[in-house]
Amino acid sequence: MKRRRMLDRLFTVAMAAFGLATLCALFTVVGIVVWRGAGAISPSFLLDELRGAGADGGVFYHIAGTAILVATAALVALPISIAIGLMSHGYLGDGRGRRAIEAVLHALNAVPSIVFGLAGLALFVNTFRWQKSWLAGGIVLGLMIVPTVAVAFLEKLRAIPAHTIEAASGLGLRRSMISTAVLLPQAASGLVTGLLLGLARAAGETAPIMFTAVIFSGATIPHGIDDSPVLALPYHIFVLAQDSFDPAALQKAWGAAAVLVALVFGLAIAALPLRLRIHEEAKRV
Amino acid sequence: MTRLRRFDFVRLAALCGSGVALVALVALGAWLAIGSIAAFRHEGLSLFTGNDWGYRQESFGAAAMLYGTAVVSLVALILAAPIGIGTAIFASEICTRRVRLAIKMLVEILAGVPSVVYGLLGVLFLREWLYALFEKLGLDALSGDTILTAGTLLAVMILPTVATLTDDALQSVPSRVREASRGLGLTRAEATLFVILPQAIPSIGGALLLGLGRALGETIAVFLVVGRADNLLPENLASWRPLVDAGQTISSKLGGAETNIAVGDPLHSSAIVALAAILFGSVLVVTLAAEALRARAAKVMGR
Repeated sequence: MKRRRMLDRLFTVAMAAFGLATLCALFTVVGIVVWRGAGAISPSFLLDELRGAGADGGVFYHIAGTAILVATAALVALPISIAIGLMSHGYLGDGRGRRAIEAVLHALNAVPSIVFGLAGLALFVNTFRWQKSWLAGGIVLGLMIVPTVAVAFLEKLRAIPAHTIEAASGLGLRRSMISTAVLLPQAASGLVTGLLLGLARAAGETAPIMFTAVIFSGATIPHGIDDSPVLALPYHIFVLAQDSFDPAALQKAWGAAAVLVALVFGLAIAALPLRLRIHEEAKRV
Repeated sequence: MTRLRRFDFVRLAALCGSGVALVALVALGAWLAIGSIAAFRHEGLSLFTGNDWGYRQESFGAAAMLYGTAVVSLVALILAAPIGIGTAIFASEICTRRVRLAIKMLVEILAGVPSVVYGLLGVLFLREWLYALFEKLGLDALSGDTILTAGTLLAVMILPTVATLTDDALQSVPSRVREASRGLGLTRAEATLFVILPQAIPSIGGALLLGLGRALGETIAVFLVVGRADNLLPENLASWRPLVDAGQTISSKLGGAETNIAVGDPLHSSAIVALAAILFGSVLVVTLAAEALRARAAKVMGR
C-alpha cells in the first residue's frame, strides 16, 4: 500500500514536471522575444519607414503590408467558409455530403504552407505574370486559412440543437431562410473565432508569401495589382535571420519579431473567450 | 400539384463558395501530379533512391532530402511526445478544471508564435547552445546548423499541438471510467496509466500524427537552422554523427533559392514540383490517418 502511494506521488511529480517543462519552454520563447525586442520598440519604430538595409528607422510599412495581406486573406476566407458551413448544415443531410466536405477541409489543412507558396508562384507570378503582388499573397493566405475558419464555424453549427432547426422548418421557412436567419446568426461566434485564429496564423506565415507577395525593402502602400509587392513583418525577420551580421539590423529584427508576436497574440486572445465557451458547450452536448 | 420552386440564391452562393475550395484543392493536386511527370520520367525511381541532387548536372535524386525530412520530424516527435503527453496528463488528470483550462489557454496562445520567430530564436540561441553542447560532449560538429538543431526547434513548435490534442483525447474518456477505477481502489497513477491512457490510445495516436504532419511540412524554422547541405547521407547510422551533421529537408529545399532558379527550366521546375508533391502526399497521408483515428475514437467514446 505504501509503495503504491509513493508511486502515485512520483507519478504526480513527474507529470507536473512535464507540464512545467512545456510552459517553461513556451515562456522562454516569448520571454526572449520580449527581452530582445522591447529595446527596439518606440513610437518612431512603429511609425517610421525602414532605412539602411534594415539598420535604421522603423517598420511602419511592414505592419501596413502585413495588415493588407491579412485583410485580403480575411476577405477571401470568410465567404468561402460561410458557404462551406451553410452548404454542409443548410443543404446537405447528415451523410456523405457532410463527410465529403470534412474530407476536403482535412486535405486542405494538410497542404504545407510552402506548397501553397509554390502554387501561388506558379499561378500568379509565372502564369498571370503579376510579378509580386499583395493580392496573390492575400489569396494564397486566405485559401490556407479556410480550414481553420470553416472548422470553427462547423463546430458551432453542429452545436445548434436539432429542435431549433425543426422549429424553423415547422414555421415553413425555406432552406435559404433557415440558413441566413437561423444557422448563420446562431453560429456566427464560431465564424468570428475561426477567423481570428486563422488571421493570427496568416499574419505570421512566411512561406506562402515569400515567392508571391513580399520584397525586403522599397515597397510602400501598393496601388495596383501586378508588380505591387508589399513589405511584411515575417519576411523581414526571415531575411535578417539568414544573413545579417549587423547588430543594428538584428536589433530591428527583434523589434519586428516582438511586434509580430504582439499582433498574433492579440488576435489569438481576442478569439479566446468565444473559443472556450464553444469548447465547453461542445462537451456538454 | 404545382409547386413553384423559387430560385434559391443562398443555395447557389453556398455551392459556388464551397466549389471554390474544392476546385482549389483539385487544381492543386492536378498541378502537383501533372507538373511532376517530367521529373519522374527523367529520374524514375532514382528520384527517391538517388543521392545526387544537382540541377546543373540535371540529376535529381532526392534521397538525402527524404532522409532529412524523416529524421528531423522523427527527432521532433520523439522529443515532443513524452513532454506533450505528460503535460496533457498533468492538465487533464491531475489539475483542477480551472487550472486545466488556464494551462490549455496558455499553451494554445503560445502555440501561435510564428515559425519565423522560432527560426530567429534558433539562429541566435539554440544553434549556439547546441554547438557548445556538442563541443563539451566531444562531438566534432562543424557548426550548430544540424539535423538535431532543426529537430529540437521543431519539437518545441509541435509541443502545443501534441499537448492540447492529447488533453482532448484524455478528456473524451468518460468520467464514469475514472470514477469506476478510483472506486475499485486504484491510485490516480494506476487509473491513468492502466485504464484511461489505454482507452485514449487511438486519439493520442491521432494527436501525435497531427504533430508529425505539422513537423513534416514546416519550412521556415527548419530552413534557418538545418544547414541546407545537399546530398549528405550518413555512413554510419548507429552513431551520433547523423544527428550533428548538417542536412537538407524537402521543405528547406523548396524554401530556398532553387525554387526561383528553376523558373523557365522545365525539367528543373518539374523536379521542384515533384518534391512539393512528395511533401504534400506524405503530410496528407499522415493527416488523414490522424483524422481517421480521432474520428473512430470519438465514435467509440460515444460523443
